[in-house]
Amino acid sequence: MKPQPKSVSVVAVIAASALLAAGCGSKGEKTSTEGAGKSGTLAIGASMSLTGKLAREGELTKEGYQLCQDKVNAKGGADIGGKKVKLDIQFQDDTSKPDTAAQLVDQFNDKGVKLILSSYGSANTEAQAAVIERNGQVMADSAGADNKIFEKGYKRTFAVLSPATEYAASIVKAIKELAQPQPKTVAILSADDGFSKTVAEGGAAAAKEAGYTVLPTQLFPNGTSDVSSALTKVKGQKPDVIIGSVHLVEGVAIVKQAKELGVVPSGGFGETVAPPTPDFAKTLGKDAENVLGSSQWTDSTKGSDKYFGSAKDYAKDINAKYGHAPDYHDAEASAACLALVMAAEKAGSTDADKVRDALAGLDTESFFGHIKFNDKGQNVYKPMSVIQVQGGKAVTVWPTDSAEAKMIWPGTKK
Amino acid sequence: MSQFLQATIYGLLQGGLLALIAVGFSLVWGVMNVVNLAHGSFVILGAYIGWKLNSAMGLDPFLGMLVAAVVLFAVGYVLQRWLINLVINGPIFITLLLTFGLDLLIVQGMNIAFSADYRSIKTSYAGDSLALGSVRVPVGRLLAFVIAVIVTFALVALVNRTRTGLSIMATGMDRGAARLMGIRARHAYALTFAIAAALAGMAGTMVGTVGTFNPAAAGGFTLLSFVIAVLGGLGNMYGALVGGLLIGLVEAWGGQYLPGTWVNALAFAVLVLVLIFRPSGLVGRAYYAARQEV
Amino acid sequence: MGSPATGRHTATDEARGTRADATEIVGSSRSAHEPVWRRWLPWGLLVLGALVMLGLQSQLYSGQERTVSAIFMFVALAQGWNIIGGFTGYASFGQVVFFGLGGYFTAVAMSHWGLNFWVSLAASGVVAALFGVLIGLPLLRLKGHYFAIATLGVAEGMREVVNNVPGLTGGGAGISIPTVGNQATTHYLGNDGFYLLYLVLALLAVAVGMLVSRNKFGFALRAIHQDEDAAAAVGINTTRAKVAAFALSGLLTGLVGSTYAFQQVTIFPERLFDVDITVLMVVMVVIGGSGTVLGPLLGAVALQYLSEWLRQNFTEVHTFILGGIIIAAVILLPQGAVNYVREARQSGEWSLLANVRRYRL
Repeated sequence: MKPQPKSVSVVAVIAASALLAAGCGSKGEKTSTEGAGKSGTLAIGASMSLTGKLAREGELTKEGYQLCQDKVNAKGGADIGGKKVKLDIQFQDDTSKPDTAAQLVDQFNDKGVKLILSSYGSANTEAQAAVIERNGQVMADSAGADNKIFEKGYKRTFAVLSPATEYAASIVKAIKELAQPQPKTVAILSADDGFSKTVAEGGAAAAKEAGYTVLPTQLFPNGTSDVSSALTKVKGQKPDVIIGSVHLVEGVAIVKQAKELGVVPSGGFGETVAPPTPDFAKTLGKDAENVLGSSQWTDSTKGSDKYFGSAKDYAKDINAKYGHAPDYHDAEASAACLALVMAAEKAGSTDADKVRDALAGLDTESFFGHIKFNDKGQNVYKPMSVIQVQGGKAVTVWPTDSAEAKMIWPGTKK
Repeated sequence: MSQFLQATIYGLLQGGLLALIAVGFSLVWGVMNVVNLAHGSFVILGAYIGWKLNSAMGLDPFLGMLVAAVVLFAVGYVLQRWLINLVINGPIFITLLLTFGLDLLIVQGMNIAFSADYRSIKTSYAGDSLALGSVRVPVGRLLAFVIAVIVTFALVALVNRTRTGLSIMATGMDRGAARLMGIRARHAYALTFAIAAALAGMAGTMVGTVGTFNPAAAGGFTLLSFVIAVLGGLGNMYGALVGGLLIGLVEAWGGQYLPGTWVNALAFAVLVLVLIFRPSGLVGRAYYAARQEV
Repeated sequence: MGSPATGRHTATDEARGTRADATEIVGSSRSAHEPVWRRWLPWGLLVLGALVMLGLQSQLYSGQERTVSAIFMFVALAQGWNIIGGFTGYASFGQVVFFGLGGYFTAVAMSHWGLNFWVSLAASGVVAALFGVLIGLPLLRLKGHYFAIATLGVAEGMREVVNNVPGLTGGGAGISIPTVGNQATTHYLGNDGFYLLYLVLALLAVAVGMLVSRNKFGFALRAIHQDEDAAAAVGINTTRAKVAAFALSGLLTGLVGSTYAFQQVTIFPERLFDVDITVLMVVMVVIGGSGTVLGPLLGAVALQYLSEWLRQNFTEVHTFILGGIIIAAVILLPQGAVNYVREARQSGEWSLLANVRRYRL
């Protein structure tokens, strides 16, 4: 390297010395009151996927958290230890990357923010959960359903949503209970990410238990809009039911391409995640009719609480604030925030350990359904709902006590 | 057997559309030695234009794609003439970075303007399929394939028989000599880029009709364009067509006969092998073999 | 077209910004006549920098520590890329393959084979370097864009391969390094530990860059960059030099990847083989000034800090702004900040506008 010109080296030395001098000073008090935000408010950290490939779901999650804050603050704040404390949720963008999500949790910890609302999706949540555990923070998980997160012995993350294994299994259970005539063969198509594979495993297990013949699961790349090879492979085996463990893109692709390829299961289609969203019916038009879907929540879920009211009230609020019908991603986010608030109220304090213990013992009804956690931190006490697209809208068909309409079976016409 | 035929048909149809996307990319790379990392975002931009026209005015996407082509032509011309031209003489990673920044800008811009929701352009007929024995041929994809092939041939004719086209080729072969002959190099370059963008936009509208899209889908198209351009030989338009069909087939057959998710690895393996053993491309010789690739 | 001819510069502007390298080679031959303190000044600065960073650690909260650690990580990555891309002129767009390979090797070694981290770290570096030799031999025969695309293909292909052997790598579901209980082979380093480790890697990378830059190997690389045929004619074994450079850059990148995997605990193929990481490396080197040692250092610090700051303060539009900044930087300073300053001081031509016209058609 050419010998450094003199002036450059002088500048470098001065800069280095300045940093060194700064380094010798003291760090300054890390005030714990920072965690409480301005006096009288409760700071909660939320690292969201606002950009990147999960941006759409991240935005819905943010809506859910935002609505929760509005509702709680409209009542003057949460009732913690006899005082009314308003919520102040601090949003940061993790660009849909798990390591950034984890880093943001650390940054919140620095600022003394101990109560955290999760990012979207199992990958991000898993990365965050590890950091939460190490830092002694507490996290309410709104969208990380993969059971594998909760098999690591983490004690400080609590998922309000039903576990991943229920997503496809609930569709199977609904078919077992309501379908006349009963199907014989079930084919499962799945995206190849961890969450979808766990869902597919749960679905296959439930189908076997129900006595159906289960074809080997066909995988396709996560996020693809071309599932033709998987469909062509199962076409020859004439399944009665095709279940897709998917996200929106692949879910739409399965129905669309099945039609193109002439794959018509005699019973119908069932998919996770995609059918409850309004985009599904809008994109597919009448091809979406009678597709079954599973959802963490619908607006006919039973239960209510003091902040959101009932499920129908929640739907009205989301519509009023954001101009669209609520997606279950909105609801699960609000529910996570609600769980955190309720735990703080129950503990009478915002101290992380006390809130954590209160969460572990939480057992309450809400607009989202029953919120209670097993010893791993998952909410196995709330069943998922199964919907069916009828007339362009997603209507609840199972469990029967909250059903809005009868299940139409078979879903496809030969 | 019918599985094989079905996969083959599907692959060819998809491949034709991919070829249309890649031919512009290949042309730009061949003529100007610019690798446009924002190419995929042009495709998605075209898809959004088609979608907007369809949802606002009910315009059929196969007409809307013409509008998309015109808009993207203008956008491409402006970008090349007044932005990319500024760094075109520099080392290759400069233009790569510039187009990368452009890609970020456009993709994020679409994210902000249209949100990350998945969209699809609905038509009443695109989902139907014709039956040939046990094999189904989807109407929408068939239409897209036919248009893609026609346009590619039209491009070849344009480039080989019109003055404009020849001036583009000449500038690509030897810019200095072309300028001496009175060809305005800046304009020729801008035209090339504009054509590439227009084709990408047109293909994008068709992509939006046969599938779903959102801003994040842009990167995948850029990557496929790379592979196809290299396979076909830079600047070789027939080569891009062949390359596109080949990639479509490879992906379709791979999806059928390999466990579902090895398909992408296969495409890259093909790319690397071709680059090692026949870098000038599979079809004929690259037009610009004489020019120094720096 | 171009700055005033001063004899040392090559005749046409098509020399692609190697002017700085020309003067560097000429300049370095003067090293025999430099005063001793001048030769050791960069090393002194390096040591000083190391001390400063150590001192800084006591000042930072753990989230800030992570940010600074990320800066160190990118300094190391940028320096690694600079060896093959900046000095040798072979723009590798698949550099992340070494990162991912190092990371996954460590993850597999620690979770399946029960090795401890330090052994895995060293082994990962070696594996990455060997892989560099393996793919370097066929691929380094390609030039320019072809080389870039081929390396990109290798990186993407490797990601797909990792995705598709879930028995070994966990596939799309990721793989976790055991860090708690008696399955953990090495105690988790924590934010403080990783800060130090990344710092060491960054210092190592800068030191390697400085060494390469000043010795015969570096001259050979620069000669290849300027004119490969002439370099061969002068007697440089270009294949050996190129492959060695590629392997060296792979080694550094692999070490960083290995550390990253341990830090993240759970890794996924799409993050460890993310093409964005390569692009970031390239942007940092180019904006800082490719072919120099200071350039990648400054570029990494500036860009990483900038993108962090943007993300915190412009949460909704930070990527959009970053795209705009990259475009502006590439247009205004195509040769990179360090080269720009050097040349401007020599020629007296500071105008950015003149700089814009430099590569224009």
